[in-house]
Amino acid sequence: MSGFEQLLKLNNCKEVREMTELTLAYGIPQFQKFTVHIQKYNNVTNSPELRSKLAELPFAYIDSKTVVSIEQLSSAVYKAVLESEYNRMRTRNLHSECILSLSPSSNIGDALKTFGLKEDSTDLIVIKITENNKGESFDGNAFVKGDLVAISNEEFASSADIETIKAVCIH
Amino acid sequence: MSAEIIAVIADVLTESIPLTPISQGAEAVVFTSPVHPYLPSSVKHDGNKLYILKYRPEKKYRHPDIDKALTKHRTLGESKLLAKLRLIDGLNVPKLIGCDPYHGCIWLEFLGEDLPDGHGFSNLKNFLWMNAKDPYSDLVKETLIKVGKQIGLMHWNDYCHGDLTTSNIVLVRGGEEWVPYLIDFGLGSISMLVEDKGVDLYVLERAIISTHSSFSDKYNMWILEGFKEVFESNGKVGLKKYKDLTKRFEEVRLRGRKRSMIG
Amino acid sequence: MVNLNSIPPKDGRDYYLAIGLEGSANKLGVGIIKHPVLERHTDSDLSHECDVQILSNIRDTYVTPPGEGFLPRDTARHHRNWVVRVIRKALSEANITDPTKIDVICFTRGPGMGAPLHSVVIAARTLSLMWDVPLVGVNHCVGHIEMGREITKAKNPVVLYVSGGNTQVIAYSEKRYRIFGETLDIAIGNCLDRFARTLKIPNTPSPGYNIEQLANKCKNKEKLVSLPYTVKGMDLSMSGILQYIDTLAKDLFKKNLKNKLLFDSKTGEQLVTVEDLCYSLQENLFAMLVEITERAMAHVNSNQVLIVGGVGCNVRLQEMMAQMCKDRSNGQVHATDDRFCIDNGVMIAQAGLLEYRMGQFVRDLSETVVTQKFRTDEVYIAWRE
Repeated sequence: MSGFEQLLKLNNCKEVREMTELTLAYGIPQFQKFTVHIQKYNNVTNSPELRSKLAELPFAYIDSKTVVSIEQLSSAVYKAVLESEYNRMRTRNLHSECILSLSPSSNIGDALKTFGLKEDSTDLIVIKITENNKGESFDGNAFVKGDLVAISNEEFASSADIETIKAVCIH
Repeated sequence: MSAEIIAVIADVLTESIPLTPISQGAEAVVFTSPVHPYLPSSVKHDGNKLYILKYRPEKKYRHPDIDKALTKHRTLGESKLLAKLRLIDGLNVPKLIGCDPYHGCIWLEFLGEDLPDGHGFSNLKNFLWMNAKDPYSDLVKETLIKVGKQIGLMHWNDYCHGDLTTSNIVLVRGGEEWVPYLIDFGLGSISMLVEDKGVDLYVLERAIISTHSSFSDKYNMWILEGFKEVFESNGKVGLKKYKDLTKRFEEVRLRGRKRSMIG
Repeated sequence: MVNLNSIPPKDGRDYYLAIGLEGSANKLGVGIIKHPVLERHTDSDLSHECDVQILSNIRDTYVTPPGEGFLPRDTARHHRNWVVRVIRKALSEANITDPTKIDVICFTRGPGMGAPLHSVVIAARTLSLMWDVPLVGVNHCVGHIEMGREITKAKNPVVLYVSGGNTQVIAYSEKRYRIFGETLDIAIGNCLDRFARTLKIPNTPSPGYNIEQLANKCKNKEKLVSLPYTVKGMDLSMSGILQYIDTLAKDLFKKNLKNKLLFDSKTGEQLVTVEDLCYSLQENLFAMLVEITERAMAHVNSNQVLIVGGVGCNVRLQEMMAQMCKDRSNGQVHATDDRFCIDNGVMIAQAGLLEYRMGQFVRDLSETVVTQKFRTDEVYIAWRE
């Protein structure tokens, strides 16, 4: 059994329904074929496990210390989609491209290290992008063990580390 | 304005982004749109907000390779410049929202408002026209000093605007006062040269003289007053720079923008 | 309003006669023109509608062998050797038996190469003393502009002046032709000439013409050799482009296989031809010119363009300009053919005669000193509103 399937088994239907309600799903006007799903988890306990399976999981896991607002996050998603549609992605998929787009530098390693999931991450943000015409959807299960919370600018700001963001984004 | 140009960008952005053209320059067309390019509609604040789209259309006269490379380079360049200017403490420029260098699009926040009694949009030009009945009021004086401060702050940080006219200064209402914002950095650059800064000041002076000639002496004086304040607040180095700059400004004024041509 | 009839023609005639002498570069030109006295010119702004009649337009070009440019000393000698013959020919073609009947002698005062300018002004002064006819010194650029306006009837165009020694975008405002943008280093014609020299492209009839023909033969127009694009605000710079493409051209000649832009790194196959280089250079330079012209048009709210100067004959440049104008609402582009685009005496006569009709002419020979530097915006344009 692969790690992916193992995680799949862990979740039951009731939890999934709650998850969908707490997920922010939206479309980008210019690229209507995509739907963007955003979740935020606090008190996450399985960060090391998620990290070890990053390559198999079709999500972007972001350390929420590095995100201060919905605008910051959605602008990175926009940029990633823009690159994938009109130019070329510099990373393997749209999800890692989102993490790269959060970073002011074009160094992929640095971007993942700064904005990506860390061993000791306790609060994290999940991005899932689905393509509508391919029949893709998101059931709300991002395999994170933690408390799913509602998305808001206040929620993002509460877990953000402004000094880290300043140090990375403003030089 | 060519309908063909509008059709091209409307097609890229799809019908979900309605566009209203507001101005056309040599290089770009400016639109407003009620739709934010990427912010989830559920978290969007006040519904009346508008966004600016600055679009550099394809120039058919030039080779497609040149056109693509230039559009991309300039769109990115202007976006980066705006992003850097925005970080300068006290300097007012529109917030960069997004950038699509492959189609020559820059998304910006909308600034300003319509002035009362049909005086048009709240740029410096229309503001001065509106106040022509009481041209030397405290409000006009304070506003122009603030304009000068903005330019001083930009120059002090070694940025140049390149096309500083009275329509490229937008006034945003802040209670009873007006807060000036510098817009349109299409010809802007990072520059250590006094020449570029001197030309900036000269271009603005000319713009004020040509549109508000009867009051231009005082107006230009007030702008310079605010300009000087910025440099004065930076001690000896600031004063030295200010002197070099005004000296060059006067030289530019005497010769009329262009240096003497050879050959 | 302007009165163009303040100085009546000689001997109570109903027309003016003017002879123009041009020799600021390698072309020696003499032209004779006639302006009828028209009632409408006493109080109007119609200096572009003089109903000019061209009685003669003679030109002799100093042509150098391929790979060589024209040097001031040799060009001046050419002008000295030929000026009398060319003047004689112009007079006889215009059927003027008594040159003392001419109203005014116009000469190029600048800008241009010192020595050639000098040889021609000496001829002009001599004629003036011999025939007792007043002199008018003309700015070469203004000559181009006035001739272009008269031929095309463009009332108030943005002018793109492109020649061997000049590259300027000009618009009229308050009695001056003001320079909106210009080259910061070398002129476009100079850039093309020097490129032609590196490639040993013949100088007959002109290097620019031959580059244009080669560019037309380019078989691979989809793929452009990428060159620096150096528009700086309203101005442009061309020395960097020349240097860059010169290096490419030299590598092409020397078969420098290390240059991966020109040769396939594995097979050594040549990827770029001389025609490709000519095409890419033209596309790049002209795109820059059209761009700064468009800027000036937006600035002064004009929708007319007039292209003057030797490089203005280039059909591709005219095409690109026309396309730009088409995309602006109701834009129009005006260009003249090589009779008037290339330096000639007629244009000097046209601008000189306008100046003369406004009562401005040389009162003392000390005012006829030629000058290598003479900016377009130094001239007071009395004949326009």
